[in-house]
Amino acid sequence: MSKNMTLKIILLSTVFLISIACLSFARTNHRDYRDSKLGEDCLDCHVGSGVMNNHGPFFAREHSVLAQKAGNNCADCHEQSYCLDCHNGGNIDTDARRSLSRRGEAMPSTHRSHFISIHPIKAADDPQSCFRCHESKFCSDCHLQKIAVNRSGMSIKPHSPIFVAPSVLDPSWTAGHAADARRNLQSCQGCHPEKANCTNFLCHPNLGGR
Amino acid sequence: MRGIRIVAALISIACFPLFSHAADLQFTSSTQYLWYQDLLDTLDKDEVAQYLRVNVGKLDKEGKLNLYGYGRVTKQMSPGDDWRGRLYYIYFEYRDAFNNHLDLRAGRNYVNTTAISGTIDGIYLNAKNLGPVGITAFGGRHVIFDEKQEIGNGEDTLAGASVYVDTVKYTHIELSYGNRYNNGDLARENIGFNISTTPHQMINIYGRFRYDTVADTNSELLVGAKLVPVKKLTLRGEFYNFKPTFDKDSFFNFFGVNNYKEISVDAEYLLTANYRVHAKYANEDFSDDATGDLYQVGVLARPIDELTLNVDYEKRNGFAGQLSGIRFNGEFRIRKAAILAGIDYDDFRREASRQGNAKKYWAAVHYSITKQLRAIVRVEDNKNFNFNNSYQGFAAVNFNL
Repeated sequence: MSKNMTLKIILLSTVFLISIACLSFARTNHRDYRDSKLGEDCLDCHVGSGVMNNHGPFFAREHSVLAQKAGNNCADCHEQSYCLDCHNGGNIDTDARRSLSRRGEAMPSTHRSHFISIHPIKAADDPQSCFRCHESKFCSDCHLQKIAVNRSGMSIKPHSPIFVAPSVLDPSWTAGHAADARRNLQSCQGCHPEKANCTNFLCHPNLGGR
Repeated sequence: MRGIRIVAALISIACFPLFSHAADLQFTSSTQYLWYQDLLDTLDKDEVAQYLRVNVGKLDKEGKLNLYGYGRVTKQMSPGDDWRGRLYYIYFEYRDAFNNHLDLRAGRNYVNTTAISGTIDGIYLNAKNLGPVGITAFGGRHVIFDEKQEIGNGEDTLAGASVYVDTVKYTHIELSYGNRYNNGDLARENIGFNISTTPHQMINIYGRFRYDTVADTNSELLVGAKLVPVKKLTLRGEFYNFKPTFDKDSFFNFFGVNNYKEISVDAEYLLTANYRVHAKYANEDFSDDATGDLYQVGVLARPIDELTLNVDYEKRNGFAGQLSGIRFNGEFRIRKAAILAGIDYDDFRREASRQGNAKKYWAAVHYSITKQLRAIVRVEDNKNFNFNNSYQGFAAVNFNL
């Protein structure tokens, strides 16, 4: 299906649903329940009510779908600090059960023990998830500092170009390099945030951009 | 100096009600002393942090005007280190204006749509209850936090809008648009669409789609269904497709990339009010025959009222590496105190790179001195590739008014 066709379908669907506008419904204010324990009590209302129970064990992944809805009711129980302590680093409520950075900032539970060692693996589980909280600069700031201090200590999969003759790259290296880049190009930004970091061996001489 | 300005601003907000009519004031302060080992120079570091959160409600007679602020200042104890500040948000909110048709936020606040998200110094409007339709619009300076300071300038902006419909009962449909400018140049422009509907009390169907107009590609698609066949069982299936895109001025834009696809199923079952089990499987596809499998299982148990135990096991095989890890933690409450502790153990094999295991042991104590005053101490020891023992922790005094 062409991209234009996809956009047309979305727009037409929206117009159609607006045109069949029916009942807007009264929303339950959850402020009365904000101090309740999550669990079976929620099911008293949320089974058969048309609004599914949430805040379960997979809520870290689920919450974005709910929080991105305009007019959501997150604010009935949570202040923006609840979002930003994870998304922008903070811990005013000093929740000791959370994964915490060195500087005591709350992190999602995906940040397991010694996340520096295992982040290349965890980042592969939904590559977009890193960028929901971190700018790409977050990666390059740390990687470039680490390279300056101890390049070999980075223990990154070897990927320096292999030449079979002067200016002639090993074809198998080229193929592997291209495949790795296609699968995981965002991670390349960690050490090569700018063109000059990547094309210093003049393999890609005609690239645009910064 | 910036840190001091942030504290002064938040304290000024706290004093604001003194000059107005009877407003509601909620004030939270956390004073923290932290210690850790620096990753790069492996030296021990000490740091102090002061967090402040102030909510002032009902600033007007109708009770619709509120003010929210949250920020912190930190300082490393080593000589020569200056105070660092971070103002997460400070905004006025006016709710239910014009006969419950408009919500307004003005100031530094966090905005979130399918098309684009971020913190802005600007305005967010939600025109609601226009029949079944609502419209949001937002825009302002894009606030970017660096480790030590805010970065960016007035030419870094973030703006967007959405139209949404709460039409047939329990159905939400939203079309959104968002853009981001870096240094005055367009960096991102996205169109987002999200839908959630519960056609039957046992099933919820939801989806999210984002189109990147700069890269001219579908960058994200999520389709999922949540099923509750019996009261205590929740099942879910999801399909997720993602294609990385980059800022317009980045040279990475000129390379071809593969789609990432993921199909996952998960289940949560409430055995009794005090015992819950959950499990998940995800199949990840990175294209070019690179795949991964992710398995997760976990149990939450409250054998007695005072004790909560939580254990999770995760196993992952495939592209990028293998991981097998367990997390166990518990909390025991005794009157005004709570004792918490946990262990994480991960065995990992990164692809053609580092392998080994990592262990984390932590313990914490909470103690409520009064209803408003609470003390917390948390210590953590990490044993891993970089450190035989890396200690970190904090001691905090929290005050709530």
